[in-house]
Amino acid sequence: MTTLAPRSYTLEYPYTRTVGPVVGRFLTGLRDGRLFGIRCRGRVICPPIEFDPESGETLAHDFVPVGPGGVVESYSWIAEPTRKHPFQEPFAFALIRLDGADTALAHAVKAPGPEAMSVGMRVRAQYRDERRSAITDVYFVPEAGARDSFVPATGQGEVKISDHLISLVYEEPLNAARERYARGLLAGVFVGQTSPKSGKVFVPSSGYDPLERVLMTESDDVELPNTGTVVGYTVITPVQYYGQKETEPYIRASVLLDGADTPLGQQDIRDIPVAEFRVGMRVRAQFRPPAARNVDELTNRWAGTGSCIERWVPTGEPDVPSDQLKGGMF
Amino acid sequence: MEDVAIVALAQTPCYRRYTDSEPSLLMGLVNQVLAETGLERREIDFTIAGSCDYLSGMPFAFISNVDAFGAWPPVYESHVEMDGAWALFEGFVRMQLGDIDTCLVAGSGKSSPGRPREIFPLQADPYYHAPLGLDPVSMAGIQAQCLLNTGKASERDFAEVVSRSRRDGQSNPNAQVTADVSPDELLKEPYYASPLRRHDLPPISDGAAVVLLARGPVARALTKSPVWIRGIDHRMESHHPGLRDLTALPGLVTAAKKLGIQSAPIDVAELCVRYSPEEIILCSALGLGRDVRINPSGGPLCGHPVMASGLVRVVEAAQRIARGEARRAIAHAASGAALQQNLLCVLEGGA
Repeated sequence: MTTLAPRSYTLEYPYTRTVGPVVGRFLTGLRDGRLFGIRCRGRVICPPIEFDPESGETLAHDFVPVGPGGVVESYSWIAEPTRKHPFQEPFAFALIRLDGADTALAHAVKAPGPEAMSVGMRVRAQYRDERRSAITDVYFVPEAGARDSFVPATGQGEVKISDHLISLVYEEPLNAARERYARGLLAGVFVGQTSPKSGKVFVPSSGYDPLERVLMTESDDVELPNTGTVVGYTVITPVQYYGQKETEPYIRASVLLDGADTPLGQQDIRDIPVAEFRVGMRVRAQFRPPAARNVDELTNRWAGTGSCIERWVPTGEPDVPSDQLKGGMF
Repeated sequence: MEDVAIVALAQTPCYRRYTDSEPSLLMGLVNQVLAETGLERREIDFTIAGSCDYLSGMPFAFISNVDAFGAWPPVYESHVEMDGAWALFEGFVRMQLGDIDTCLVAGSGKSSPGRPREIFPLQADPYYHAPLGLDPVSMAGIQAQCLLNTGKASERDFAEVVSRSRRDGQSNPNAQVTADVSPDELLKEPYYASPLRRHDLPPISDGAAVVLLARGPVARALTKSPVWIRGIDHRMESHHPGLRDLTALPGLVTAAKKLGIQSAPIDVAELCVRYSPEEIILCSALGLGRDVRINPSGGPLCGHPVMASGLVRVVEAAQRIARGEARRAIAHAASGAALQQNLLCVLEGGA
């Protein structure tokens, strides 16, 4: 049996930060094609910081123009850049002491090759045509190859906010227990695991019993029926946050399958009226036709039931009294 | 000061890719230290773990790790978004209150699902560095170049650290990358982040480590070979590389002085050498001479389970003391780019 494809997903956080008057001055300068340091006990620190690094005292906002030229104090030639680097072809990260500054700025140098780099070499700031009031608005090149160009200001007033979208990708195979659960769904069956120590049935199982701290194996697998009881639900009215795909209110329910000790969470209920939905209601999973089932959205983190279940259908049986639902791990 | 000892410890091998979950990785270790000491989970007074949600790729991932400690009955626990060595620090400090006898400390991480070089710039300055993707590998290259600039080390010195470490790793069953390779051969390899070559970097690893702490009399009752934590300290250097001399670690020097590490012979030093030049900087800051055995385990260059790697140094050093191979050892953990944060721990044997 071939294993299911590794799961890959992107985790994103769109950060919006206030920058304050010191970092703000520096970013405003970048937008307008100028570099600034800040005076601190007779030294000029670039990039400017808010506090005296020795005493921690707040620095006066005494900004000093620095650059655009500077000297490379140290560097590393990056043979294989990451997606997050300022250049996608090999370049250097360097500590650059700008003319007029006493400390070095960590930044990128675009050079034809590693042989063009050396400690003590002169470099010069170059501004990107499209600037976002961010540290990436500028980069450096060997001074001999620098172009002197007029940099038009691209905004007005001081920069007060910085936007930084964090976007990370992850890829991993499904854990063994999760993979067997996913294959069960594709076959129209719920596969859980019975703890060899307590006899409690976990579905979906994480591959261990978290109460008794026992790792479980395939021999602990158990098949469960497709009938169960609603043990909890919520009606969600979607708020339009970044990444939200829902627009209309919907029900998310927890269903305790018959014979299980943990419920299936986050079950989508779209066709039972909210007014009729209740805890204790008996329901049956109606699986989609085999060809329409897929488990692509199942990961090690988010289990769910993929797109395998068409709908949960009320069975018409009498409700289960809530006191009979006590003791489950909800 | 309350006497606190390590009474049991465990670590997983360093895996290139551990295909089960992080709680599964930890659970076996927790069960191992409980079985060794005969303690029940409910006899553990405090539990503290170090892990990183950005590595795991899920907000609140550290909560799932509590499964490994036994979430029921309710567990008294805490978490640091730091290497497990910092969890050890917090556990040690917590025990100084004198009202608890035992503390379980864990560190765990799976680097394999994500891309560490894209994740770790996020621990840098969010305005000046993170948007550049300025990653620890690149910073290690810049730091190594500073060593060359000042004549404090040569590329051959870096290669010698790698050669010795990867050879030592051959006798470490938990090592992931080992080799019998000479500095001359290593120096023929191309640069990756100059002046570093690929072998100057640690492998990408998944792994975990656990230690069980106990207070004086309880420690003596639980084991015949307690390993006493005689001192533990951690310090930060500036997070602006331009404000640092990258070849020196004044914070770590202060920690070493306060702990009096040179007041008695050091038999073994387990140092969190993630990039080979770091060993030269660390030895210089700690004043370690050629008489001190550095990283007999091979160190992080042979396996680097981020978030556990520092605690593994403590485990390795403590193991040597418990086995009677060393009397006094130091363990070091590092966090951040270019050794920005350092933790130092002095360990001693004896009843």
